[in-house]
Amino acid sequence: MKEIRKLGLILLVITAIAAAALGYVNMITKGPIAEQNRLADIAARKQVLPQAEDFEQLDIKSPGNYLIIKEIYKGLQGGKDIGYTIKTVPNGYGGPVEVMIGISSDGTIIGVNIGNHTETPGLGAKATDEAFKGQYTNKTADMNIKVIKSGTPSDDQISAIAGSTITSVAVTDGVNEAIKYFNENLR
Amino acid sequence: MIGGNEVKIWNTLQNGIIAENPVFIQLLGMCPTLAVSTSAINGIGMGLATTAVLLGSNVVISAVKKIIPDKIRIPAFIVIIATFVTIVGLVMKAFVPALDQALGLFIPLIVVNCIILGRAEAFASKNSVIQSLADGIGMGLGFTLALFVLGTIREIIGAGTIFGNLIFEGYQPALIMILPPGAFLLLGLLLALFNWISVKKARGESR
Repeated sequence: MKEIRKLGLILLVITAIAAAALGYVNMITKGPIAEQNRLADIAARKQVLPQAEDFEQLDIKSPGNYLIIKEIYKGLQGGKDIGYTIKTVPNGYGGPVEVMIGISSDGTIIGVNIGNHTETPGLGAKATDEAFKGQYTNKTADMNIKVIKSGTPSDDQISAIAGSTITSVAVTDGVNEAIKYFNENLR
Repeated sequence: MIGGNEVKIWNTLQNGIIAENPVFIQLLGMCPTLAVSTSAINGIGMGLATTAVLLGSNVVISAVKKIIPDKIRIPAFIVIIATFVTIVGLVMKAFVPALDQALGLFIPLIVVNCIILGRAEAFASKNSVIQSLADGIGMGLGFTLALFVLGTIREIIGAGTIFGNLIFEGYQPALIMILPPGAFLLLGLLLALFNWISVKKARGESR
């Protein structure tokens, strides 16, 4: 009994020191991490709706119907609204994927950006490459985008990343959800 | 004049890089080796993150080895290692978000990399702090070197790029090299090469 108490106590001391060290590091990095995420979001909004000078956050109407939509911003240019950025978080191969979509007021996709994700490096993580995400640019909001694995994509199709169909479908789900919200609430 | 102690530290440092390379000779840490060596930059990033953890855990474990009773040394080591992994993960998220994005879930998985627990058991718990520091650097750099070599070759053949820059115009990449089978194939070939060289060397010496 005496030995167990002693061993337990030593482990307790070690874990307490570890916890204190982690608490300290967390305190230092919490600010920068939140700042990195905020900067990444601002950069993503600018990238998917470059003409906008200013952004204004909107409430999500009936969020129960749009479970993967996280944030909606209205893009303003000289006081007029020129479009929207919609942040969706569909599920990819390795977990949630942040997909930001910029749609102009007349219903054209201006750009798509991939934020935080845990897709496989070298495969699903290629969704962040322009070669993949650029495929959504100039698609219009009156279509439902489909993913094809081979051949030349037609107007309402995009080519999947080779070896990463699940990621490609997830990103497309995010884009389609944004299109749906745009048609039902913003048009 | 170089004292005996410095020679020993230097030997320990060199040992990890070539003679006892954790990947090519000890065959430790195969999971991250196969998984993240899809490009040169991923290999280096993963290698250096592992080196940082290995350094921290080797030094701390060596410093407290006398206080920790033998019976609970494994859980104590794991707590120390996990602490360093979490610290490295948080620091990367805060200051190098691009690399953190690229490596993603492989950073938390450094906890279960057997090189780190292996060095804690086999080296840090038996040697001085300075020696353990040298061992951590040597093994870490050896691991980084192995991942860099694998990553570079896989990236060139599998994606036609090096550090993300296109090198061959009009080259159709052999996708299999950046998929899991390519990792196994290339690792097998490199292991064979390493063995061939060391066998040849041993024969030459015995003659």
